[in-house]
Amino acid sequence: MEFLLDSILSALVLLWSFDPDLYFVIYVSLKVSFFSTLLSSLLGVPIGFIVAFNEFRGKRAVITILNSLLALPTVVVGLVVYAFISRRGILGILDLLYTQTAMVIGQVILILPLVAALTIAAVGSIDEKYRKTAMTLGATTLETARVIFREARFAIVAAVIAAFGRVIAEVGVSMMLGGNAKGFTRTMTTAMALEYDKGEFVLGVALGIVLLAISFSINVLFNVAQGRTRS
Amino acid sequence: MTLFEARELTKVYQGRTVLSLKELLLEEEKIYALQGPNGSGKTTLLEILGLLIRPTAGKLSYQGKWIDFTDTALTALRREIVLVHQNPILFTTTVKKNVEFGLNVRGISGEERKKIVIEALDLVGMRNFLRARAHKLSGGETQRVAIARALACYPKVMLFDEPTSSVDVENRMIIERIIRNINAEKKISVVFTSHDLTQASRLSHDIIPLFEGRRVASLHENIFSATASLNEKGKTTYLIREGLSLIGEETETAGEVKISIDPLKLSVDRIGNYKPDRNRLRGKLFQLTDEQSLVRAVVDVGILINVLLPKKTVKQHSLTIGDELALVVPKNAITVF
Repeated sequence: MEFLLDSILSALVLLWSFDPDLYFVIYVSLKVSFFSTLLSSLLGVPIGFIVAFNEFRGKRAVITILNSLLALPTVVVGLVVYAFISRRGILGILDLLYTQTAMVIGQVILILPLVAALTIAAVGSIDEKYRKTAMTLGATTLETARVIFREARFAIVAAVIAAFGRVIAEVGVSMMLGGNAKGFTRTMTTAMALEYDKGEFVLGVALGIVLLAISFSINVLFNVAQGRTRS
Repeated sequence: MTLFEARELTKVYQGRTVLSLKELLLEEEKIYALQGPNGSGKTTLLEILGLLIRPTAGKLSYQGKWIDFTDTALTALRREIVLVHQNPILFTTTVKKNVEFGLNVRGISGEERKKIVIEALDLVGMRNFLRARAHKLSGGETQRVAIARALACYPKVMLFDEPTSSVDVENRMIIERIIRNINAEKKISVVFTSHDLTQASRLSHDIIPLFEGRRVASLHENIFSATASLNEKGKTTYLIREGLSLIGEETETAGEVKISIDPLKLSVDRIGNYKPDRNRLRGKLFQLTDEQSLVRAVVDVGILINVLLPKKTVKQHSLTIGDELALVVPKNAITVF
């Protein structure tokens, strides 16, 4: 217990001292997670919306596949992307392995199904009357889609926040595709794993505190977004 | 001029036929009531007339032109026909933006839009709510804003699905007045659904009775579940509840059935003339309302039964609410489904 308290105290001192290495790790984490969330949202929200808004053959199958992909292990994503971007892979020529770009690619693949599936759920929960009301008031299909999107907006924001929460806390993809290189691809989670291996807990605990603070903020945002949906 | 004409119109949902109309003719500038119990196909017909759902089979014409439901030009037609749903939804924004919606999609700009919004809200007595958040309104207010939103679109036809089913008496009267006014003053044709026959008679020029998806010749009222059994004389006895049974005409039907008792074929008699008889039910007059050339009497015989009486009968018997009387049910008043 004393050891843990000492570690927390030292971690707080480290955070207060604005240690550049520590804050660079936080910066990389936030940057990679931000871009992977942005890209997956730009792809996943339209995919989810189109699937939910339209009726087509095989719709159920698409939803089932997306839901199954929600359980995709990070190491599997890491392995598959690694196979493509390693020197022997077909995209090896791009020299992406152990870069932040590789981490973003892996994380996008990881959370794209999550964003799409949660968007489908968000749009699917909108009462059919909204669509019919927009149509009867003279809206075109595109204008009707805008109405539905607007009504589902808070739930869609909640989906994006949930996706960000997933990537900021993941370790498998970052480790396998980023390589945990100090000053380049080291993120909060990979740094924590390394510090644990080394038996050095102070930096790990400091990063843990930051990660928890971020998770807490995300949850607050998530709840606010969900609250708006319910109201 | 003919507003809507339907031929062999059918709608099937998951193998179940919910609407099957051989023919329907609705004229312009009139108020029509689609009347029938739950599940009679009223809302489905209304949504087809509103061009919101495609019929499974059959043809529908609007102002003399047959409608192609696969046509991309359907949006232009929809802009002439607006449907106000039962328990309508308002978009999660202000009342103003809700009423503006139809005008925005029609490309009506600035000052003109503002003028129309205020005019429409004035018509339903909701002008003071212009800046209110739509989701904070009561059920009756929501219904009125939904009507204003539809009126702002200057439709030629307005369709209402159970317009007063979830509002209080005050709002019901206001909504009925609005419906009458928009038809009389703005010459907007109105089709509304109702399972309240009194309201349908009060508001409409013509009632279209529907039952189980079909148009029926007469109003099916007084619908009850009953157990049918054949008696020794070959007649059918319908047991509605313990101590209450009626004898119908000869039929081979037996078991659990649904029967309707035609209110036009029923009559009443003073209690002094009451003789115990299977088809003469002792009851109490529960309600009396004027219904065009007739009077609707609701008689409590253990269950409430609607009777449509000529005005002279009411006068002749000096009927008043609370009177004890004998309700006479002729055998041919009973129809089995």
